[in-house]
Amino acid sequence: MSFGDWLNDRTGYRAGLRRVLDEPVPGDVNWFFTLGSVLLFLLALQFVTGVTLTMYYVPTPAYAYESLRFVITQLKFGSMLRGLHFFGASFIVIFAVLHLLRVLFFGAYKSPREVTWATGIVLLLLVLAFGLTGYLLPWDQRAYWATVVTINIAKSTPLVGPYLANIMRGGPDIGALTLSRWYATHVILLPVGVLLFVVIHLYLMRRHGIAGHFNPRPMPTSPFYPVHAVKDTIVIAGVFALLFSFAAFEKAPLMAMADPSDASYVPRPEWYFLGLFQLLKYFPGKLEPVGAIGIPTLVIALLFLLPFLDNRPERDPRARPRVSAIVTLIVVGVSTLTWLGFRDTPVERDPRVWSPRAVAGLDIALSEKCTRCHSTGGSGPDLTRGRINRDVQWISGHVADPDMIAPGLRPPPADGLKNQETRAVIAWVQKVREGAPPPGVRGDERIGMDVFATRCITCHVIDGDGGKEGPDLTHEGKKHDAAWLVKWITDPVAINPDSDMPAFGGKLSDAEMNGVANYLAARK
Amino acid sequence: MSSSTPEAPLTAAEVTRRAWLRGIIGVIVTAISSVVAVIVGGAALSPAFASRKDSWVPAGRLRDLEPGVPTPVTVRITRQDGYYEAVDQQVVFLLKSDSGELRALSSTCTHLGCRVSYDAQSKLIKCPCHGGVFTPDGRNIAGPPPRPLAEIAARVDDSKVFVQL
Repeated sequence: MSFGDWLNDRTGYRAGLRRVLDEPVPGDVNWFFTLGSVLLFLLALQFVTGVTLTMYYVPTPAYAYESLRFVITQLKFGSMLRGLHFFGASFIVIFAVLHLLRVLFFGAYKSPREVTWATGIVLLLLVLAFGLTGYLLPWDQRAYWATVVTINIAKSTPLVGPYLANIMRGGPDIGALTLSRWYATHVILLPVGVLLFVVIHLYLMRRHGIAGHFNPRPMPTSPFYPVHAVKDTIVIAGVFALLFSFAAFEKAPLMAMADPSDASYVPRPEWYFLGLFQLLKYFPGKLEPVGAIGIPTLVIALLFLLPFLDNRPERDPRARPRVSAIVTLIVVGVSTLTWLGFRDTPVERDPRVWSPRAVAGLDIALSEKCTRCHSTGGSGPDLTRGRINRDVQWISGHVADPDMIAPGLRPPPADGLKNQETRAVIAWVQKVREGAPPPGVRGDERIGMDVFATRCITCHVIDGDGGKEGPDLTHEGKKHDAAWLVKWITDPVAINPDSDMPAFGGKLSDAEMNGVANYLAARK
Repeated sequence: MSSSTPEAPLTAAEVTRRAWLRGIIGVIVTAISSVVAVIVGGAALSPAFASRKDSWVPAGRLRDLEPGVPTPVTVRITRQDGYYEAVDQQVVFLLKSDSGELRALSSTCTHLGCRVSYDAQSKLIKCPCHGGVFTPDGRNIAGPPPRPLAEIAARVDDSKVFVQL
């Protein structure tokens, strides 16, 4: 007797497995019926990636952001892990809606499947709650300010609003208590809820069988495995490949760490809440609860009641024009609102673009001046790890006087940073804290940026940053070429006797001179 | 319900087709599981096998040391503990010989790990826990300690003392 036989004898697993896999499925079940399996796969993937993220994530304002940065920058495949979880959430929302639309148009919610349908709506709401609670956890600017808006929306609920807002915050302000209760909801309450409802949903699906096509053709049934499972598997492979590409190439964003004092940040909700966000703009002042609570509640109530409102047995969408029209109207409405929301969202600065100041700051930070202490094995934290949790005030104090943090332990360097160098280092720190990937500039261009950001920037502006004494050099390349710029920078008075600009001939090395001239000449 | 009819007996061609389908499912499931396992496994395990790197830490100036007298020095080590920056304080004994040669000794008793201290009166290093006694250069001479105090690598650079921890 093999081990499998013994286990089967004791548990009967083979009969159970056969019962699950050999489910007779109508022959006319087509590719549209793979959406449920895709959702099941995506939920399982969220579970696996989510559990791994919890090994590192810490739900406190002091460390939430840092711990996620650690995942992204220090762990092997950490960025992929977070990417899969981040984009996986969006994928689930998309496929949940597609699944819902499939059931709507195929009329599969009708008797006897009313309860299956209701559990599906509950699952959709749970998935949205997952998205909402998960959005806060990175504790970056985007997370914090979107949550401020979410809670304000809840607050506008008639009668119970203020109490609801307090319960969501866990106190009078958004802070440590909010973060930990949203975390508990996200990693414990909601997963248990989803698991429970998925089990009920699947049990009911098996109990009533798959509804199949709305105009069934007489065809023999075939077992789910492998005849139908192969379609599910192929679609899942495609979806996974797409999700993998998003995680690998699009990179899940991480903004600067949450700063409750920075009210200038314009909150943006996750894209699947953009429609709701947009709707609110049409209900100003006292009418806000209508858009924020009234309309969404009405839509959800309508969904739950649909099998009872539309209770005739016809399933062909053409035979029930009213339902088809209302569904189409809602789909068009939500899509339009989402699109308008997208259009109205102010663009966020692309974190991949580095200013000359930030590039120079990076080069200074990695130079002898800083790495004498800040390197592996040095007395200060290693800067190459690109992980900085000090704020700007602290850094500017520290580079001016390194002695201040640990008096006596380390002498201040005799060749401390000059003013422009300090500002460059601060620009770099802010860039790092925004979660920017390293700059894609090297060689000549990089030297040019370093020179510009430590010298020229005192009097000249590029992209709105710099001194106002000299002309704006943002589009200098349109006016002059590199050869002319070398001559000009070497000795401006030789070209224009009235020029106030100091001569840099002899102060810059050949590499620096050519670098800055080429950099400026390339700015068209 | 459905007007479908129950499944007909399988033809030989259908049996082969289903074997193929099972194969396709197997390949895809294995491929996806492997990719997910590599990503999740990498993220879950990569810090587990990272080794700690020793570093040279400044520990005062050579001229502040009295020859033959072990001087306790508290050194501060910043250590990256995942997302957390841990600061460890550790006491080491610095010992300068009459010829100016430098040694550094751990202040951890070799018996059960208590913190030892220098008794200037008896000119001995003593452990408060179980009465272990060491000479100023770290040899165990009385009580339970089985070994001399651990030696720590030390070097002098520009009259400044560095120890490797």
